[in-house]
Amino acid sequence: MIAIAFRGLTKTYGKVPAVDNFTAEVQAGRVTGFLGPNGAGKSTALRCLVGLSRPTKGRTRILGKRYPQLKNPLHHVGAVLDSRGFHPGLTGYQNLRVLASVGGLPGSRVDEVLAQVELTEARDKRVKGYSLGMKQRLSLAAALLGDPDVLILDEPANGLDPAGIAWLRGFIATQAQAGKTVLVSSHQLAELENVVDDVIIINKGKLVASGSLHDVTGDQTLEQAFLRLTGGAQ
Amino acid sequence: MRLLAAEFRKLTYQRAMWGLLTAAVLFSALGTAATAVIFDQSSDGLGFGTLEDQVVVDSVYANAISGYIFAVLVGVLIVAGEFRHGTAVATYVAAPRRGQVFLAKLIASLVAGVVLMIVSTAGGIAGGMIALEFYPEAADPSVDIFVNTSLAAIVSGAVLGVLGASIAALIRSQIISLIGVLIWLFAIEPILLLLFPDQGKFFLQGLITAIMALDVESEQFNLNTADFADPLSATLLLLGYALVFAVLSMIVSIRRDVE
Repeated sequence: MIAIAFRGLTKTYGKVPAVDNFTAEVQAGRVTGFLGPNGAGKSTALRCLVGLSRPTKGRTRILGKRYPQLKNPLHHVGAVLDSRGFHPGLTGYQNLRVLASVGGLPGSRVDEVLAQVELTEARDKRVKGYSLGMKQRLSLAAALLGDPDVLILDEPANGLDPAGIAWLRGFIATQAQAGKTVLVSSHQLAELENVVDDVIIINKGKLVASGSLHDVTGDQTLEQAFLRLTGGAQ
Repeated sequence: MRLLAAEFRKLTYQRAMWGLLTAAVLFSALGTAATAVIFDQSSDGLGFGTLEDQVVVDSVYANAISGYIFAVLVGVLIVAGEFRHGTAVATYVAAPRRGQVFLAKLIASLVAGVVLMIVSTAGGIAGGMIALEFYPEAADPSVDIFVNTSLAAIVSGAVLGVLGASIAALIRSQIISLIGVLIWLFAIEPILLLLFPDQGKFFLQGLITAIMALDVESEQFNLNTADFADPLSATLLLLGYALVFAVLSMIVSIRRDVE
């Protein structure tokens, strides 16, 4: 079953295409790595997917629908797109409580997800006092609020120290065991290789490879395959 | 309703909003008190008259609505704050129907503006009462001034809250929006009202003053409120401004990408 679909997605800024006729699918219940060099169009594609950017051409679907058509999307899709996306003057709890209100979720759910990402002790601390790793965890907690079936994580490892990356790996593995669909973009290829089932590789806005991890990498490591496919090894 | 609940929750959580409310109350209270002192110190009340005239005392109380500048700032912060802190992404991911989200923000700005104006105007009236206690020769105010000032407070709070939110949605930058509205209200409008009163009276401050139906004249300030629009027309024109800006900003918010 297809959980996420990009169909001929094109997004241009002025005359510059950030994403160019991009078609790819993410299978339900699998962890899919979304890879590409900086500026390849990963974030733009994900922003089009969740309705933040309007595609110039083509379409995207999540669970068979356009994102804005999902009724109460927090219950279907959790997205981490911007770790900066919290009000610094509000506590971690308050930031999530506002989002929970949008989804009609009770305050007790906020405490549950804060516990899931091990931020209970920082619950009443203002976000401006959070480390980058804590902000990333708070973003993940926000994504988990509605207990969604689909998680979209854009560079969740950014700025994390080794312990944070190890924690993130465990987090993704836990979500996978729970049968969630996870689409995760990251530059931590070695880490990603341990948790993904499938990969989609994009370069200069175009799809260059997609399929199971083994089909795409063959006998190579994910990093070697990535460099070969994106021309980074030259 | 969920979106509105989220907006009001966000409003009450933010210290800046409580700071603006406090500042509005102090600004209004000190404004009315200072006006009483200035009218008394100036032998001819700056051309308006003296505190023994009821219309001058009414003018003191009319200053109780001076906190409306803070209503527009609240509107700006409700919308531009989302872009400044990057919370717009989380908001629109949780609620992707942008028209509904922005409508909730407009309503929250309107309600916040009205509440701020009711509280700050009450503070301003209290400041005027306390200050005028020191001038036994001061005339009694008219009953109408309290009714009209209260109406002006509610209308101006609603209109300026919506205008602030709309301007912020169009400009997006919190700093530029804040500076822009401050320059407009503190510099451009007063200059227009002074130099071109026939046109200036149709801008925000002229219309808000018109709602209070004050009948004051000062040659020094090239001001004669008898020439201003009648209160009903002024109210309708202000609401029209708010509606036009709300519709424009709604269209832009729906069509523009969220960065």
